[in-house]
Order: sequence, then structure tokens, then C-alpha cells
Amino acid sequence: MNALVTLDGVSKRYGQNTVLHDVSFEVAPGSIHAVVGENGAGKSTLMHILGGLHRPDGGRLLLDGKIVRLKGPLDAIERGISSVHQELSLFPNRTVAQNIMVRREPTRAGFVKRSELEARATEALARVGSGIDPTLPLGRLGIGEQQVVEIARALERRARLLVLDEPTAALTDQDALRLFEVLRDLRAKGVAVLYVSHRLPEVLALADTISVLRDGRLVATLVAAETSEDELVRLMVGREPEPLAERSVAEPGPDLLVVSNLGRAPAFADVNFSLRRGEVLGFAGLIGAGRTEVARVIFGADLLATGSMTLGGEPFSPRTPREAIALGVSYLTEDRRGLGLFLGLSLRDNVVAASQDAVVSRFGFLRPRRLKEVAMALLRRLDVRPLDDEREVSHLSGGNQQKVLLARWLMATPRVLIADEPTRGVDVGAKQRIHAELQGLSRSGVGIILVSSDLREVLSLSHRVAVFRAGRLVRILEAVEANEEAVMRYAAL
Amino acid sequence: MVEVFGKRAGFGREAVLLATILALAAGLAVARPGFLASENLISIATGMVYDLPLAMAATLVLVVGGIDLSLGAVLALSSVVTTLSLRSGVPIPLAIAAGLGVAAAVGALNGLLVTRFRLAPFIVTLGTMSLARGAAVVLTSGYMVAGLPPAFLALGRERLLFLPVAIWIVVALLLFGHVLLRRYRPLHDAFYVGQNREAARLSGLRADALTASIYVTSAVLAGVAALFMSSRLGMGYARFGELAELRAIAAAVLGGAAFSGGAGSILGSALGVLLLALIQNGFVLLNASIHWQNVATGLVLLLAISIDAVRRRFSGERA
Amino acid sequence: MPRSRLSAVPAQQLALVFCIVALSGFMAVTYPGFASIENAEVIAMGFVFEGFMALGMTLVIVTGGIDLSVGAVLPFSAILTALLLRAGVPVPPAVFGALTIAALIGLLNALAISGLRVHPFIVTLATMLSLKGLNLVLTGGGPITGMPPGFAWIGQGRLLGVPIPLVLFAAMAVSLGLLLRHHRFWQQAYLIGGNPRAARTSGVRVSFVLAVVYVVSALCAATAGVIAAATHGSASAGFGQNAELRVITAVVIGGASLQGGSGSIGGTLLGLSFLALLYNAFSMTGVSTYWQDVATGALVLGSALATELVTRRRERR
Repeated sequence: MNALVTLDGVSKRYGQNTVLHDVSFEVAPGSIHAVVGENGAGKSTLMHILGGLHRPDGGRLLLDGKIVRLKGPLDAIERGISSVHQELSLFPNRTVAQNIMVRREPTRAGFVKRSELEARATEALARVGSGIDPTLPLGRLGIGEQQVVEIARALERRARLLVLDEPTAALTDQDALRLFEVLRDLRAKGVAVLYVSHRLPEVLALADTISVLRDGRLVATLVAAETSEDELVRLMVGREPEPLAERSVAEPGPDLLVVSNLGRAPAFADVNFSLRRGEVLGFAGLIGAGRTEVARVIFGADLLATGSMTLGGEPFSPRTPREAIALGVSYLTEDRRGLGLFLGLSLRDNVVAASQDAVVSRFGFLRPRRLKEVAMALLRRLDVRPLDDEREVSHLSGGNQQKVLLARWLMATPRVLIADEPTRGVDVGAKQRIHAELQGLSRSGVGIILVSSDLREVLSLSHRVAVFRAGRLVRILEAVEANEEAVMRYAAL
Repeated sequence: MVEVFGKRAGFGREAVLLATILALAAGLAVARPGFLASENLISIATGMVYDLPLAMAATLVLVVGGIDLSLGAVLALSSVVTTLSLRSGVPIPLAIAAGLGVAAAVGALNGLLVTRFRLAPFIVTLGTMSLARGAAVVLTSGYMVAGLPPAFLALGRERLLFLPVAIWIVVALLLFGHVLLRRYRPLHDAFYVGQNREAARLSGLRADALTASIYVTSAVLAGVAALFMSSRLGMGYARFGELAELRAIAAAVLGGAAFSGGAGSILGSALGVLLLALIQNGFVLLNASIHWQNVATGLVLLLAISIDAVRRRFSGERA
Repeated sequence: MPRSRLSAVPAQQLALVFCIVALSGFMAVTYPGFASIENAEVIAMGFVFEGFMALGMTLVIVTGGIDLSVGAVLPFSAILTALLLRAGVPVPPAVFGALTIAALIGLLNALAISGLRVHPFIVTLATMLSLKGLNLVLTGGGPITGMPPGFAWIGQGRLLGVPIPLVLFAAMAVSLGLLLRHHRFWQQAYLIGGNPRAARTSGVRVSFVLAVVYVVSALCAATAGVIAAATHGSASAGFGQNAELRVITAVVIGGASLQGGSGSIGGTLLGLSFLALLYNAFSMTGVSTYWQDVATGALVLGSALATELVTRRRERR
């Protein structure tokens, strides 16, 4: 069977990081091809290359057997490759029909023919088995329906390959099932679907073939019917061991933070756990499982709806991050550029942001010399490069930016540190430094909640692992029983 | 010793402004010896007395990530309230307090709508601008309020070392404000809030309280400018300060403030005001029409933003 | 994703219609002279210049931008036309010349916004200040007169009994309204305002569309300027004083959001009608016209607050 899209030896580098290495596989028309792998395995990069957003550094892309060089997202769309990302590319202020037919509206002398527009939109929706009223404003629809609209739009654009990025991440179970029907229907009509996800049960139920990525390499392409979750998990996680940070050997102390029945609709409910002094408690689970939401409630960034907490034996219910920080809780956000760093300010300003009381005189004036001392000490300790406290933080690499953010929370000398994806998008050297720092904190008695999608990180550093799934804490595993397969099982089933 | 808080308000910017000002002054002094005459210099300083507090106000609001279009209107309203009170026999200190109080009230309204109701600062201050200006017109029926007690007028006419007292007060205010903005922690936090409001909140800063306070402060500064204007010109008038807020914003942007927030310098804005004042004075000396003032402001602003844009391109700012 | 303000808009416009009807009703009953053709004409002519500017401003605001320069482009075009006419240039080329220069100003605005990536507020502020000063320089502070008699017809003539400015305004409003609502090219304004990133990846040539939008805005203001010169028989720098605020107010209470993506010519017309009626009501009832600004301010704030609360309530569902 002639392949529709072929990747042949595709590689991609970002600076020193090789993100994709010699990846080759084919997608046949009228099939659903899944790509699975952990976070950081290279799935996003692969999608971006197919979508025309990035060009491969090595290898080639073939369409219908002919080599193509995509000039950009529009070029990809015109050639029949449409991508639907998690962040939908729609216009909430326009109707469904206007969204589906955007820039391809039927016109007479430039004037849009409304009835024909709506008719074409209805057809496009019917093609994906949807009966949504095309005259509705898009903003009125739920996210599941909006996604369907985007898929309908892709079809309108004569997509022959539909690339979907974690499509069920934001969907309810019902919406997901509907989506699967739509995809199966598309397959029957000859459309090829590239389904990128790490939700294994879905993938096994839906796909014809599955490619497994690990650390930027394609480890296997399997026929879905001939494989199992176990095998997939093993392929996804098995790798040559790298020297890893070991969890602190010191025994954790008494309970520090106790969380009872914590809930905040619709993100999570019924969360119970305790964090001990000097313990590293890992939060594992898929994206969207509610871990960050729990973290934000503990930090006072969002208000809790039900449940209670105690910190050091005292009742603890921060209404603002300020209160949490004052009581010794720090939160290292997962979104360092959006919610963490002050990009236009200097390293020094970023480091001291949460602990200015320490560098302020009696009357409230900042003491520049003290500021510099303290900031430089932390920057040096974390090996931030370049070591220039007056440089603007936006100029630093991701790894160094993350270290600056960590420095901020170290300066706050917390009792509890919640580290949310502390090494996401960070190079190996910075990663090791950050891990060493977390270990050190744990040794000195700080309780750490480590939220991470990097299972190896979680397992190597944590004393216990709390596994979340769909807004609930399903299981807390002790170090001895925690391994990658076990965690994945609880997280993904 | 001088710290750099963000590229855009760095010492480099103020130095460039200062250099431009000195060059311009040198050029004017050579072309027209009358430039350096004390009356001329004093007249420049006097003209700046009203624009400086407004530029300071505009800077503070821009730093915290907002914008205040109501400054000119607040100035007018404040002047009207003070002068009407004076004319009804209210003692001077109380009349001044009333004027400043009204200004603070408008500022508080701005702050409330922006923080509590999350309305866009542009729209809010557009609305309060109309409200304040309208209130001033209603109170005076459009007439100028004159007949003020001599003691009040003396405030504006008093001189200290050849310059009006007002100038000294304003200079003190500027220096004070500049140092506070850069070093006084509660005010300096405005940079954090303007850069990234949510990140500021997550770092434990009180973003809303600070924002609201700055809107109040900004309005009170307009009230201070009103005081000088009423005292010096001997009247209160509902049409005072027309377009003043826009010129203040222009000066602030020249001085390094960014429309997106998180940058700015009071010293820079003051230099911006000075530069614009010099340009105006230059046209006067050269016997050109004084109406070139606004043209100059506009063109200088265009030039400044073009230079900024080019600099940004070349510095390879990471998005 | 940006929130949809679409659901709040019809409610807002309905409220506006209600206010217009209520106000007109009240006025017609209380003041016999109100419900007459003459008064309607007075009301319309009193606001027609803001009307022209509001048409262009609607387009600009839909794209998420703002044009502060319109209040200065108006007198600038009036002055240019007057100067050309006084120098003996025939009416058509004089008008054409003034409009062309205005279009270039709009183009300059757009280039600075897309090319230099500077916020529209700052760019159009700079343009506004420059032009305001230029106007005073060109006129020396006084009015420019000496226009040929044929020119006055544009401002003072009638077509089938209706004043020419109103005819021109109606024609422009209908054209832009239809284009914005139904024409594929002009609808891109909504795409840019609604989701600029998605607009780009959907194939919208953002820079080009913005250029057209700002040129149109300038041309609308210029048209008003030419008409103003014809109506008054002179051109002075004081034309259109503070107009940009009234114009923005009309567009905003008509349902457009300053963030972009929503708004319509129809809504703007409602906003204009309401403001015009309100100001007329002020003068007729003898309520001091001094309350105009207060009312405008209250309207802006009330409208913004109401829109916000309604949007919030809908989101909570």
C-alpha cells in the first residue's frame, strides 16, 4: 500500500540538544497511526515538523512518495496536512460556520454567501458526524465541540492527514468517545490520522499502528492488535540507565503538611495525603490529572472548596500566596515563562522577588549591596550562566531560567517546597544541579512535593509517589513498590 | 550604585536623553544667546511645573501596567474645587485639602474599577476623564473662577533663589519619587506587577492593593499640579489640562516607560518633559510659531519609538 | 483562548435601542418641537462629523487597535482643502489631494504598528500630536477662508431635501456596514481582533489588512474634514476638538470591545444615535449642556461594567 506520509531519517536539534534522531515511519491513508512516548520523547517536535512549523535538520519528509520541504504552516495545510493542537486555533467571536470556512468562504464578488456558507459548514460537520448548529457563536460551545469544529475545518481544507495532539486531554469521557467515532469514520473515508498521545488504553483501542518514541528515537512501530500495554510501557520507559540522583537516605521525620479531603471542582476531589519533614513526595500522573491544581490550592493561589489542611500541626488555609509564603510554603511553577519569571527584569530582581524582606532596611528601602550579595550567592550556588545578576533574565537559556526561578524559592527558606515540573525543558547539566539542590533541601528537613511527568525523576528522588488520575489521588506507593510500570498503570488505566 | 531595572529603563536611556538635552541646549545657546538669559531659563522651568507632576503620575501608572487618561480632567476638577472653596471663604488649607481629596476620590474610583471589577484601564480612565471634566464644567458653568485670596496667589508667585517655590517643590517631589520608585520596596514592586501580574501575585506581592494605590497617587499628583496652576494663574478653570495626560504619557514613554508595563523611570520622564520644553522654547526663540510644540512632541515620540524598535530588532530579544 | 464577547453584545444593543426609544418618547411627549423633521436634522447634523469618524474607528477597534489621530486628521484635511482651494485649485483635485494625504497618514500609522510593532495607542498619539501642531502652524491660529462658492454645496447643499453631508454619511455607513458584515476581505478584521495568532496561521495577511483599516479610518476623518470646511465655509484648527473621545465612546457603547473581535457598524450607529439624542435632549430641556461630559463618562463606565458582569455571568455557566 502506498504510504501517504513518510518520515525518513528525520532529525532535529535545538542548540546542543538533539530532540529527534533518525526517525522513520510511514502513515498509510485510511489508517490511524498513533505515536506514543513520555514527555520529552520528541512527540511535539515531530508534530511541528509535520505541521510545517519547523524544518528537520536531517532526513526527509515524503508526501505521496515525493520529497517535500514545507515552507510553513499554510503550506502544510495546502498540501493536505492539518494539525489540531491542544490550544485550539479558532475564533471564539465568530460562528461555527465562519470558523469552519475561514478564508475559504463561498463568495459572490467578495460578498460571502451566507446560506451557502452555512450549508457547506453543515456538510463538513456531518462528515464528522456532528449536528452542531453552524450559526452558533463558537465561544458558546464546550471544548469538546470546539475540537470537533476544528476537525471539521481540517476536513474542509481537504486534509488527507489529520495530526492530533493529545486530543482527549481536555475532554470528558463522553466527548472522547464521540471523538473516537469521528476518527473511525474518517479512517473509513480514507483520511489518515496521526494520533499523538500517551494514553495507552485509548491508543490501543483506536489505532492500527503504533510508533513508540523514546528520547528522540523511534524504538518500534507495532501493529496495535499485536501488542499490549505492558509491551508499550516497557518500550516507552526502558533505556540505558544514566547516573541518577538518589533519594535522600535520611529517614523522613514527623508529619509536616497534612491534607484531608481536599477538593476543588471540577479539577480534583477527595485528596488525602501527608507530607513528612525531609520527605520527597512525588506527584505522578498524566497531564490534566489535577496535580498542579492541588499544588495551587496548597499554595493559596486558588481557593479550596472542600477539605482542610494543617501545617506543622496548625490549621492551614492560605487565601493568597502571600499567606502561604509567610508560613513557609513555596511553589515553583511549571510555567516559568508565563507565571514565574519577570522576563524584562534582571536576574537579581527575579531571585529576590519573593523574599524582599530579607534585603530591605528598617524603613522599607532596598539595600543594593545586600541584594547583590544574596542574589549572587544563590546564582553561584546553582551555577547559573552567565553569572551576571544584572542581565535581563529573558536572555538566558531555559535551564538557567529555571535555576533562577528555583533560586527565588530557595531564598524564601521554605518548610515546604512544591516543585512543579522543575526540570521540564531543561538541559542535562541544569537538571542534575536542580536535583542535587532538591536532595539537599530534603536532607535539611524541607518537605518537598515533586510534581513531574518525568517518571525517572519522580522515582529516583521520591520517598513515596502519589499517583493521580482524572482529579483523584488513586494510590500512594512506597519507594520499594514504586517502579515505572506500576505508576503508569495507576496513572493511565 | 545605580541599578538597572530592566533594559528599557536602564541608565543608558536617561544618559541618552541627557546628552540630547545638553546638545540641544548647546545648539540653542549658540544660535540664540538669549537662550541662556535668566528670564528665559526661568520661564522654561516655570512652564514645566505643571507637566512634571503629571509625567510622574503617568510613569507610575505605566510602570504598574496600567494607563491613566483622566489626569488632565482631574487637574481641572481639582483646580475648580479648590478655587470655588476659596471663593466661598473656606480657609486655604481646607480648600487645598478639598481639591486634593476630590482628586484622590477619582483616583480611588479608577483603582476600584480596575482591580475589583477588572475593567480595562483605558476604558475606565476614559470614562472617569469625561466624568471629572464634566463635573468641573458643571460646577463652574464653564466660567473661570477668579477672585482668590492673595495669600493663595502668593503661593504660586513666591520665589526662592530666583525660581518659583513651586519648582523647588516639584523637583523635590521628582527626586523623592525617583528614589522611592527605584528603592522603596512597596513602590518598587510596581515593576514586578507591571511585568507579570500573576507571577507577582504568586511571589507574594499585593498586586491589587498596589495598583489601586498608584491610581490614587497618580490622581493626587494631578491635584498637586492643579494647585500650582490655580495659584500661579490666579484662577480655576474647567478647561485646564486639556491633552495634558497625553503629553505626560508621551514624556513617560520618552523616559523609558513601556506601554505593556513593567518599565519606566521618573528621572527619564522628567528629562522627557525637559526635552520637550526645550524644543518648544527653541521654536519660540527662533521666532517660529509656538504651535510647533505639539508637532515636536509628536515627531520626537515617533522618532523615539522608531529607535526603540530598531534597537529591539538588533538586540535579538528572545520572545 | 480569548473570551467570547459575542453573547453580551445583542443584549447591550437591545438595551441601547430601549434607551433610544425611551429617550425619544420622553422628549417627544414633553417637548412639542422635538418630534419634527427639522429637529431630527439638527440632531443628525450636530453629530455627523463624529459619525464619519466613528465608522472608521469601528473598523480599527474591531481589529483590536485604536486610532487617536482622527480628531486631528479632520481639521488637517479641512485646512489642506481650504488652502488648495484658496490657491486656485479646482474643487475635485483639491478634495482628492486632501484625501490622499490623509490616506498616507493612515498608512504611516499602520506601518508603525505592524512594522515597528508599537502599540496603536502610542503611534496614533504621536500622529495626533504632530498633526494638531501642524494644523495650528498652517492656520496661524485663525480660520482659513476664501473658498469658491461651488464648494459650499458639499456641506450646505441638499439632495431631495436631505442635507448632502447626511446623504454622504448614509452612503458611507451603508457601504462599510455591508462590507464589514458580508465581505470576505473586510471580515478579516474580526479574525485579527479575535485571535491574531490563529489569523496568521489561517492565511490572513495581517499587515495588509491593518494598513487598509487605518487608511480607511483616516479617510473617514478626512471626508468629515472636507465636509466640515464646506459646511462652515472656512477651516480652522479647532474643528473636531476632543472628538476622538466622543467617537470612541459611541463605538464602545455600541457594543465593540476594545480588546477587538467584536463590534459592528450597526452597533456604532446605535451608539451615535443615542449620544446625539442625549446631547440634543440636554439642550432642549435646558439641562445644562455642561452635564454632557458627565453623562458620557457615566455611559462609558456603565456600559463597560455591564458588559463585564454579563460576560462573567455567562462564563460561570
